[in-house]
Amino acid sequence: MEFLELTVDKFTFRFATDRYYHPDGIWALPEEDNRVRIGLSDFAQQSNGDVAFAEVKPVGTTVAFGEEVASIETIKANVFIPTPVSGTVVKVNQALEVRPELINEDPYGEGWLAVIAASDWEADRARLLDAQAYVERVREIAEEEMKKR
Amino acid sequence: MSPNRRVVIVPCSGIGKTFGTVSREAAYTVVEDLRPDTTELVALSLLVLGDEEARAAVAEHPTITIDGCRLACATKMVQESGFTVARSFTVLDAFRKHRDLKPEGISSLNPEGQKLALVLAEEVAEAVDELAKVYPDNGGSDADSA
Repeated sequence: MEFLELTVDKFTFRFATDRYYHPDGIWALPEEDNRVRIGLSDFAQQSNGDVAFAEVKPVGTTVAFGEEVASIETIKANVFIPTPVSGTVVKVNQALEVRPELINEDPYGEGWLAVIAASDWEADRARLLDAQAYVERVREIAEEEMKKR
Repeated sequence: MSPNRRVVIVPCSGIGKTFGTVSREAAYTVVEDLRPDTTELVALSLLVLGDEEARAAVAEHPTITIDGCRLACATKMVQESGFTVARSFTVLDAFRKHRDLKPEGISSLNPEGQKLALVLAEEVAEAVDELAKVYPDNGGSDADSA
């Protein structure tokens, strides 16, 4: 897996280059059979803090782009996770039930949230950002945050 | 350290963090209320600065760390100072076991946070009792070490 990196102040964020990103920090990795794996970006997990609980919609749930597909409770906040792809949830990362910290420890790997059978991946992909564009998006967000301090 | 105080408690510094506040509140509860005769608090900052008394306490007695989050600053700094951590606790793990106790606040905790600190303190106190039995000769004697 290859990454782009962005350092802002004392924080360094990594961005896997093999996937697409919802502007709110959820990645989408297309796989075989029109399925798309999703998870939180490194920026999203660092911004929200240590995950105490992660709840993903169960297998069989149908979701439309931007609807809630999961929620996480961190030491800072309760966070609504919008899906970056429309379709049906076909797999949920069961490991998160006992080890939600995987989202923090390995956001692009073992910390994945779900796999969705996409209903119109091409249309959804057009609404997502590639890694470089997401880096720029994060840079803007981070610089806005820095100005507030 | 008083001769019969046989276990050192080192909470994280987590300034400005709710979970850091819970960590310290739990530590105070253990040392001041639950096990005042067998525990002593050591400030992480003093240990890192190389304070001789703090270093001696951690060197000579089993040490329990209480961290707020997974950064585990207290545990890591004790270890990087060259000492062994006998038991480590995190507020995050305690919260995972007690989801209804969502802590809020920094200078003062909400009632749920105070309860979480107490629950964590009780867990730590149990560990203190276990360590006092395992290390009976590290500073004094009492009924447990006889």
